[in-house]
Amino acid sequence: MRSTPKTERSRPARWLSVGIAVLGAAVLLGWVVAHFPKAPIGPRYVGAGHQSPQSGGTLVFSAGSNIHTLDPHFAYDTLSTAACRLLYDGLLDYDYDGNMIPSLAAQLPTVSDAGRAFRFELRNGIKFHNGREITAHDISWSLHRLLSETTGSPGYPFYKSIVGTPAYHRGEAERIEGIRVIDDKTIEFQLDEADQTFLNALAMPFAYPLPKEHVEKLEAAEGPDAVGRHPVGAGPFAFSRWERGVQVELHRFEDYWAPQARVERMVFLENISPDVASARFRNGDLDVIHRPSKVNRLFIRESKAWAPYRAEVPSPSVYAIGLNCELPPFDNVHVRRAVAFAIDRSKLERLNPGEVLAASQVLPPMLAPYDPELPTRQQFDLERAKEEMRLAGFPDGLSEPITLWVRGEGDVRGAQLFQQDLKEIGIEIDLKMVSFATYLKETGKPRVAQAAFTGWHQDFPDPSNFMDILFHSRSIHPVNSENRSFYRNPKLDAILDSARAEVDREKRLALYAEANAILAEDAPWAFLSYAVDMFAWQPYVKSFRPHPVWLNEYRNIWLDLPRKRVSQVIYEEEAAP
Amino acid sequence: MMRFIVQRASWGVLVVMSVVTLVFFLIFVAGDPAVTILGPQARAEQIADFKAKKGLDQPVPEQFMSYLGLMPCIRKDSPKYLRADGTRGFCGILQGDLGESYSHHESVANVIGYRLPRTLLLASLAVLFELVIGLTAGIIAALRRNRWSDTAIMFATFIGISLPTYVTGPIALLLFAFLLGWFPFGGYGVDPLDHIYHALLPALILAIAGAATYARVMRGELIETLRHDHVRTAKAKGMPMSQVVLKHAIRNALLPIVTLIGLSLPFLVGGAIITEKIFAWPGLGLLTIESIESLDAPVIMAVVLMFGVAVQVGNLLADIAVAALDPRIRLSD
Repeated sequence: MRSTPKTERSRPARWLSVGIAVLGAAVLLGWVVAHFPKAPIGPRYVGAGHQSPQSGGTLVFSAGSNIHTLDPHFAYDTLSTAACRLLYDGLLDYDYDGNMIPSLAAQLPTVSDAGRAFRFELRNGIKFHNGREITAHDISWSLHRLLSETTGSPGYPFYKSIVGTPAYHRGEAERIEGIRVIDDKTIEFQLDEADQTFLNALAMPFAYPLPKEHVEKLEAAEGPDAVGRHPVGAGPFAFSRWERGVQVELHRFEDYWAPQARVERMVFLENISPDVASARFRNGDLDVIHRPSKVNRLFIRESKAWAPYRAEVPSPSVYAIGLNCELPPFDNVHVRRAVAFAIDRSKLERLNPGEVLAASQVLPPMLAPYDPELPTRQQFDLERAKEEMRLAGFPDGLSEPITLWVRGEGDVRGAQLFQQDLKEIGIEIDLKMVSFATYLKETGKPRVAQAAFTGWHQDFPDPSNFMDILFHSRSIHPVNSENRSFYRNPKLDAILDSARAEVDREKRLALYAEANAILAEDAPWAFLSYAVDMFAWQPYVKSFRPHPVWLNEYRNIWLDLPRKRVSQVIYEEEAAP
Repeated sequence: MMRFIVQRASWGVLVVMSVVTLVFFLIFVAGDPAVTILGPQARAEQIADFKAKKGLDQPVPEQFMSYLGLMPCIRKDSPKYLRADGTRGFCGILQGDLGESYSHHESVANVIGYRLPRTLLLASLAVLFELVIGLTAGIIAALRRNRWSDTAIMFATFIGISLPTYVTGPIALLLFAFLLGWFPFGGYGVDPLDHIYHALLPALILAIAGAATYARVMRGELIETLRHDHVRTAKAKGMPMSQVVLKHAIRNALLPIVTLIGLSLPFLVGGAIITEKIFAWPGLGLLTIESIESLDAPVIMAVVLMFGVAVQVGNLLADIAVAALDPRIRLSD
C-alpha cells in the first residue's frame, strides 16, 4: 500500500518503462561483455629510467611454501638456503660463472701437505650484525657447533674428512683436531686425505659462522631451535622480524664489509600457492617469482612482452629410475641397459614444455664434464633395447612384472608414461605408491625395492657430489644407504677416489668424464630428465639473474624506483606473421 | 542503568565462559595437537616430550583448570611453571596469560598483537564503507521512493544481501585486481599506506552486505520519520527540504542504525574469516583458520575467547547507546 498520494501512471506507460529498462540492461550487458577487460600480457609497471644503480626500496618476493629455518646449520632446502644467503656470509662463495671466490676470507686459501691442509686469512673489518668483529675463533666455534652430534645438523657428512671430526661428532673428543686457530685472523684446516671438494663444503651455508655469544644466550633462553628464528649473521642483510606463516623481513646491514646492498628491505612472503603468487606477480604485487605455476609459466614463456624479464635455467638436478643392482632382473647389466634404451624421454619434454630436458647421463648440463655427445649416453633406441634384452637372455621379455616404487601422484603420472615403453620390450610394471618418509627409509635398505623413482639435487657444483654419494660402494649401508641402486664397481670406486684427491683440475675432470661414461653405460639409473627452473622479474628490478649455484640470488639487485604504471598495458600479442 | 549494565555484563561473562569450556573440550575431540604439530614423521619420544612441555600429558580437567588459572601452571616451558623461589606459579587466562602458540613459537598475546591491528583496520574501513554507501543509498531511495532510482537501489540491496563474500570476493579479485589492475591481488603490503591500499578491496567486499542492510533500514526509517508531525511542521514553516531532511529527519532515523553497528562489530571481527582467507589478509580471521588447521590449541582458545568477548561487548554497547540516544527507553525498569 502506498502511503503517500501519487499520480498513478497508466498501464501502457508502465509497460513502456519496463521495456526501456530491460533494453537498457541488455545494452549495458552487451557493452560490458564487449569491453570486458582481458588479462594483461605484459608487465604492468616499468622502472623510472635510472641508468646507474639506485639505493633504497623494498623487494617483495614469494617463498612459495614456508621457510623452514633461518639457522644456516640446518638450512638444507631451497628456501631456507635462499634466505640464509642474504643473512650470512661464509669464508668462500661462488661468482656468477660458478668459480669459487673468497668472501670473509681475504683470498683463496693456501694449500699445503699435498692438498691436505688449507690455511685461510680473514678479511679486515668483517662484522656480525651485532657489531662485533669476526675472528678465526668464530669460524672454528661455528664449525664445532655444526659438527657436534647434539646439534644434529644434516651437514655433518660433508666435513667428515677434517682430522678428528668423527671422534668429536661421537662425543669422544673435546675439539676437532684438524681445525686450528693460528691467530685472530688465521685459521687452518687439516684433512685426513686430500679432498678437492672440501672447499666446496666450506662454501655451503652449513659453514657460515654465527656469533657464539648470541647463540648461547638464545639457546639457553628459548631452546635449540631459537637461532633459526632470531638469526644474527654477517651477510648483507640483517634480520628484522619473522611472522610465522606470513613473512620474513630483512633490512640492509649498514656495516657490511663489501659494498652495501642497494635494496633497503627484503620481504619474503610465505604460504602463497604458486597460482596466487603468479597472479600477484603478473599484477605487479611481487617483484621476483621463482617457479610460477604451470599455466603462468607457459604464459610467461610465450609472452613477448615478458621476454626480457624472464630466465629459464637448468636446475642442477637429475631425475631417474633407480634400478637395484642386487636384485634380479637388474643384477643383469643388459636388462638395466634395455630399460635405459627403451624409455622415450621426449614424452616428458612434450608433457612439460620448457620444464624438463631429457637426461642422458648423471651430470646435469651446466656441470663439467657433462658431454652432450657422450658415446655411452642413454637415449631412446628401441632396437638397441630389444637387442640388450636378447643379450640378457630374455628375448621375449620378463615373465614377472617389475615393482616400481613411486612417491606420489606426480611420480605415478611419470611412471604411466613409461609403462607402455617398457611393455614394448616385454617388461610389465606394477606401481607401489608410498609416502616420502617410507620411500626414504625402505629404498635405503638393501634388497627391498627392485626399482624406484629417484633423483638428486646438487649440494655444491662438483661431479663428486653426484657420483661419490650416489654410486660409490662406500655409500652402501645396511640402512640409510645413499647408493640406493646398490651399485658396486671397484673400477668406478678407484676412479672416484683418485679424482677426489687430484689437485690438477684438467686431470680431475678427465677422471670424472671417465666415471660419467661408465655410469651411463652400466645404467644403475635409467636417467630421465633434468629440471629447468623459471625466474621472472619486474622491469624495474635491475641486475637480477639466476645464480648458477644458489639460483635465488638477491644480493645484487637494485630497484629502479619509483616504478611507473604502463600507460598502455599490452593486452594482446601482436599477431604472429 | 547501572543495574542493567551489571546484569548484562554478568550474563556476558557466563556466556563467554560456556563457549570457552565447550571449545576447550572440543579441541580434544578433534585430535591430538602434539601429533598434528610435529607431523606424521615424529618419533614417539618427541611427541611425549612435547606433551610434557605443554602439559598435554595431564588429565584434561586438570589442564582446563590450569588453563583458566584456577590451578597451578602445568606447562613446563612456561617461566611461571617453577618460580625462582621454588613455588608453582599460575599461567591461566585469569592471570592474563594466554599461553604459547604451538606453531608460531611465540606467545599467543604477541601473535594476536600482530594480527589484531590488521583486522581492526579492515573492519573499520568496512564499517566506513557500509555507512557511507549504505546511508547514502538509503537516503536517496527514501527521498525518491517509488521512482526508478529507488527501485534500482532496492534491487541492488536485495542482491547485495544475497551474495556471500565467497562469491563476490573471488569475482572482485579477478576483475578489479587481476584484469583491471586497480587493486593488489590480495595480501597485506609492506608500508602503512600500502596496507590501506591492500585493505580497500577486501573492505569493500566485506561492506557489501552491511551497506545493503543499512540502506534498507535507513530507507524505511526515513520514510517513517518524514511523515512525523515535527517534519511536517518544519516543512510548513517554509524550511527548505534539504534542511528538513538533514536537520530533522535523518537524525531521528539514525537510531536503529546505531544498534545495527553495535551488533555488527563482533561480526566484523569474527565474520571476516572468509574474506581474510580469500584476500590472504593476515588478520585474526586467517589466524583462526590456520590455527584450527594446525590444531594450535592456545591460539584457537584465545581467538574464541576474543570473539566471545567482542560479541558480548558489542551487544552491550549497542543497548547502552540506544538507551542514551532514545529517552523513551528506560533500562532500569
